[in-house]
Amino acid sequence: MSKALEGLVVVESCSEFFASLCGAMLGDFGASVIRVDDRANPRKIDHDRDGLHPPERWNALDELAHRNKQSLALDLGKQGGREIFDKLIATADIFLTDLPFAEQEARGLDYDGLCKLKSDIIFARASGFGPEGPDRDLPAIDELAAARTGVMPTLVQPGQPPVYTGAGQMQTTVMLAFGIMTALHHREESGEGQIVDASLLGGNMYSQSLDMQAYLAMKDDRFLEPVSRLDAGNPMSGPMYPSADGPWVTLAMPDTDKYWPAFAEVVGLDVDDPRFDNHEKRCGENRLEMMQVLDKLFAKHPGSHWKKLLAEKQLPADVIETYDYPVEDPTAKANRYILDIEHPSFGSIQSLGFPIYMSESPARLRRMAPTLGQHSAEILQERLGYSNSEIEIFEQDGTI
Amino acid sequence: MSKALEGIRVLDLTQWLQGPVCAQYLADFGAQVIHVERPVTGDGARGVRSIKALPVGDWNQYFLVINRNKKSIAIDLKKEAGRDLLCDLAAKADVFLSNFPIDVLRGLGLTYEKLSEINPGLIYATNTGYGHAVEVNRPSYDINVQALTGIMTRQGEPGQPPIYLGMGSGDTYGGIMSAFGILLALHQRRRTGRGQYIDASLYGAQLFMGAPTLQPFLASHNPFYARQQSRKNARNPLWNRYQAKDKWLFLCAENTDANWSKLCGTLDAPDTSGDSRFSSPESRAENHVTLVEALGAAIAETSAQEWLDRWQRVGLVASPIQNLKELSEDPQAWQNDYLMKTHCNEVDREVEIRGLPVTLSKTPGSVETLGPELGQDTEILLMEVLEMEWDRIEELKAEGVIP
Repeated sequence: MSKALEGLVVVESCSEFFASLCGAMLGDFGASVIRVDDRANPRKIDHDRDGLHPPERWNALDELAHRNKQSLALDLGKQGGREIFDKLIATADIFLTDLPFAEQEARGLDYDGLCKLKSDIIFARASGFGPEGPDRDLPAIDELAAARTGVMPTLVQPGQPPVYTGAGQMQTTVMLAFGIMTALHHREESGEGQIVDASLLGGNMYSQSLDMQAYLAMKDDRFLEPVSRLDAGNPMSGPMYPSADGPWVTLAMPDTDKYWPAFAEVVGLDVDDPRFDNHEKRCGENRLEMMQVLDKLFAKHPGSHWKKLLAEKQLPADVIETYDYPVEDPTAKANRYILDIEHPSFGSIQSLGFPIYMSESPARLRRMAPTLGQHSAEILQERLGYSNSEIEIFEQDGTI
Repeated sequence: MSKALEGIRVLDLTQWLQGPVCAQYLADFGAQVIHVERPVTGDGARGVRSIKALPVGDWNQYFLVINRNKKSIAIDLKKEAGRDLLCDLAAKADVFLSNFPIDVLRGLGLTYEKLSEINPGLIYATNTGYGHAVEVNRPSYDINVQALTGIMTRQGEPGQPPIYLGMGSGDTYGGIMSAFGILLALHQRRRTGRGQYIDASLYGAQLFMGAPTLQPFLASHNPFYARQQSRKNARNPLWNRYQAKDKWLFLCAENTDANWSKLCGTLDAPDTSGDSRFSSPESRAENHVTLVEALGAAIAETSAQEWLDRWQRVGLVASPIQNLKELSEDPQAWQNDYLMKTHCNEVDREVEIRGLPVTLSKTPGSVETLGPELGQDTEILLMEVLEMEWDRIEELKAEGVIP
């Protein structure tokens, strides 16, 4: 089995989770990803900065974001450190960073500076708010971008505080990976490198794109307030109903005519019930009544009852599970979305795996996240051709 | 300006959202994307108004925006001649993309085995609901797949219903995942000359989307990570959502003494900086419930803009929690082309659309046209791509293979 990105060299200077994860996704498909762990842009995946994510016995997010990478701990403030960095960039295809513009420029790590070392470099920037505009210098913090995106107040039930989901940053990670591959395609055709930028603002906006696009098209104030779960446009597509023992049930049957006979049987309604016997009635005049009827019907039986019946009829509707479900789900494992792995320090553990399947060049877990500077000497020797004695001097004076 | 993906031809046999979004990313950067639709009704999303699951407006923004920059060919795949036509097109394509169920593709004879035999360089990409490894014959929509991941029950305040992450949130994520996968396969093909089968499923993408909390859960199996957590229980009260007089704010400050002292300097309330309950990071974490409440009471007295001004002056990072109206007027979104204006033929006026979230400096994406009319490019594509004679096109029309 080959690797899709065999031979590709990525040099990474990132501190945020979503940015580092982009490097890991390139590493998953075979790129050589070298993290430059520099004091000025340290590896600090501190997911508990809000105090809602208590640390576990090992830092699982750091492990995910840095798998399939090598670590070079380097003091870029030292002349020798900078020289090593410059040599490394000259061998690289991609430079990936979440440094703010001012930092990039102050430290000579901007696009123009790196172009002098490698003229066709692809300069990939994970940013907070994009390359233009009055807020281009704001830090790349997902909460700040999510707050701007317009749906935090409306994803919740009326009267609830705005919700932060953390999902928007995940879009940015993959958008940047896509942008890098697009730029690489162009480089292969033309020999030309360029800057790629994907921001948390853009990622969060696209994560919410249908709600946003509906507002843009209609400019209707009803999009600005949360809507009660029992006031959906279609009682069979989107609403959630609680079961008898707690778990909620959600329905995704937009074409209600198609699913109505099977669904009516599952919930115990008469298929010919004159209140609900066509799509217009279900989504029009009797919409609210239907949701109240369903609310009562679903409350009659436990979640397991509904899960079984909905599955038997192969309906696009399901119980809203907790994280316990995917952990046990054979489908998640068979697809390698979730991996069981043996960790050298922590034994048998589970981790998120690979969301993309490729038949000829599948993603692989080739190495666990490196410790700080784990590969410093190796990279200097094998990749940059430094001698053992030179490396020793660098180690002694703290350059590496 | 040149286009990064110029010369790549994508046969886009998709419908609704995830598949079309994937192809949209490729089309934005210059790939020739041919949206293959059934005659008369076309992509189900053309009829989105009738399902009433989401508001649409006077132009079909749902279909037209995700299918921008694409061509449309209408072919009746129920007819053998239609399926042959699709195979002929696949022979001339770089990518075949579909989010139809696997059993439907098999029924149409459009399997990976068959198409890769016709064109060994073809990238065969599917967007299944639940992944390639186990065949699940159950319709997959965004929300019923999101329900399985566990991410919905993790959101919001304790005791509240689960929260759907937003209409299409999983589909758009699966779409960009698939676009990334296709480019990986194209890169690989450069070296090997051969295509391959790739799949980016709705389930796989949505599990990955949960990473910020699912990954710590996988590592620890600690139920804390699977449950709703109240904002009142955040052990760093300086990093939280607070309601000012007129709107909510997101304050994002690490729990350091320097930040605490800055924050105290901006409060109207009597000086709390010396209060021993809050005087160190540890004591603020210890007394977080009290502190979140106290800050909440203080912040509620004054307008959001006033707080933002004060906090900016002392160097504390915060953001207003905007609604969609405020986002639609946000210069940051417009100046980066995340929002754009374009002409819409359906209503013959300029409309606002979501734009280009991936910025390339030398080969930027663009929006040339909104989504095509059903089958508008059928004849010209048959002539251009398959070099078909007009007589043959007339025959296909007479047989009802194309409209």
